[in-house]
Amino acid sequence: MPTNRDVLLVRRESLGGPYFVLTFGHPEVAREGRAGQFVMIKAGLSAEPPLRRPFSILAVDLERERFSLFVKAIGPGTRALCALEPGEPAQCLGPLGRPFTAPADDEEPLLVAGGYGIAPFLLMSRELRARGATARVFYGGRTAAELQLREPFAEAGVPLELATDDGSLGFHGRVTGALEAHLDRGGDGRRPRLYACGPDPMLHAVSRLAQRRGLRAEVSLDPWMGCGVGTCLGCVVKIQAPEQERWKYRCACTEGPVFDASHVLWPGEERSAAAGGGR
Amino acid sequence: MSAPNLAVDFAGIRLKNPLVAASGTFGYGVEYEGILDLSKLGGLVSKGLYMTPRDGNPTPRLAETPSGLLNAIGLQGVGVRAFARDVLPRLARHDTAVFVNVCGDSVEEYAEVAAVLEDAPGVAGLEVNISCPNVKKGGLAFGNDPAMTHAVVAAVRKATKRPLIPKLSPNVSDIATFARACADAGADGLSCVNTLLGMAIDVESRRPKLAFGTGGLSGPAIRPVAVRMTWQVARAVKLPIFGIGGISSAADALEFLIAGATAVQIGTANFVDPGVYDRILAGLGDYLVRHGLGDVREVVGTLQMPERA
Repeated sequence: MPTNRDVLLVRRESLGGPYFVLTFGHPEVAREGRAGQFVMIKAGLSAEPPLRRPFSILAVDLERERFSLFVKAIGPGTRALCALEPGEPAQCLGPLGRPFTAPADDEEPLLVAGGYGIAPFLLMSRELRARGATARVFYGGRTAAELQLREPFAEAGVPLELATDDGSLGFHGRVTGALEAHLDRGGDGRRPRLYACGPDPMLHAVSRLAQRRGLRAEVSLDPWMGCGVGTCLGCVVKIQAPEQERWKYRCACTEGPVFDASHVLWPGEERSAAAGGGR
Repeated sequence: MSAPNLAVDFAGIRLKNPLVAASGTFGYGVEYEGILDLSKLGGLVSKGLYMTPRDGNPTPRLAETPSGLLNAIGLQGVGVRAFARDVLPRLARHDTAVFVNVCGDSVEEYAEVAAVLEDAPGVAGLEVNISCPNVKKGGLAFGNDPAMTHAVVAAVRKATKRPLIPKLSPNVSDIATFARACADAGADGLSCVNTLLGMAIDVESRRPKLAFGTGGLSGPAIRPVAVRMTWQVARAVKLPIFGIGGISSAADALEFLIAGATAVQIGTANFVDPGVYDRILAGLGDYLVRHGLGDVREVVGTLQMPERA
């Protein structure tokens, strides 16, 4: 159940540039938070900026009742959060949304992240390890400077397959290119199962790739969000499950943010019932 | 001294305190079950309901503006029958007054929606939405013409015995005219006000930030306008008023009560902080104690207006 609390910042770690890892105390998020879920959080009660912001849960620490967020300080809301000093409060509601679903034993989990979209996959890697599975994480960005969350994965012993558009680090090209190369090599022999988080064009590309290759894929969407609990109806996305004759607006906050990639109608994409829903 | 009384009577409806969740910012209420105790609220107003389900507007539907929120949701909703069947029984488990926001594309549809609710248990009153700026038909079209306002309210009046509370639009030149039209048509109370028609533009793309083009502005940015209109309406009619517009603290709520509102509705602040009711209730109690008042009703309409030169 999501819990609304005043939370205290317990640790602020700069990762260089605008990137920070912020750790807050929140027993319920620490206990119940799953990979793909998020919190709505805001520093202080000021009228500026008006709304809380959604962030994927990066990590949870059950013992110390804490959770961490990966935050890029780019606007007034994120800058105010990243300016908090340890001991200062923020208002936080979570955990919210539906998490990624676990892969079956005969599926190879492939986690595909674009830039900032890496956030849920540290927790996901740990969840998979707890089930005795190993995650393979593809982490792409425009340049090496956008791949700022490498260290926490290294500390957690999770190998990353890096990709940069400019070739400054890892595979030279899009992260989907690195993923395709792995798939073309036959992966680890099991049925690949894709999980993706990142900018919409990347998620759309992963969805097309999954459809083309007949793979199951889940994508975590990040539309503008007002409330996080399904009341403002600001974050709706067009979703059409195979059994539905027509798309419906679904709240990314409560019915997502994780959706089956084959159910998402991307901008400009309308679909007839007959063509819809192929996996 | 015992704790001050916060209960008020609004058009014959007892509210345990003067805080009511505003339509469109609280879903159907049940979304907040488990996040906050709905029994702490004086009441709640449902999302606007038509006879049939509606998709609402394309996205983006929200844009943040200075101390405000611009929205063009377009009254996405499940329809009044599904609400009466699925939601009302769940809301009945909570000790709070449930108001239903009634919409229509036509005068007849407003009356039809009201009629569906006439036999539904657990409805305290109807709020009539004549002021939504985000739909092509109905909505604001009924709310910025006094004759149309009268026609809609009179039609709903015929369809229901329940307390009837039209929600006024601020997008008019003289809101008192509309308040009087509602009173003449048989309204029992007024909600004051809906969102202000606004627009925000992305200068890089030179396109509106909302897919609908324009939207309704809410939040602290509109509070002075809403307080002024509440004051004007309170002077124009004898009806009880819900003051609405950018309330997120006890001081904000008190502005509306002092201007003449019997109770207030909390809107955008629900998105910002679901714990807002606890904070405002505590603040109201403190204020009353500090001013030696035993009852929140003693504050209503107590504005000390200076002589104007």
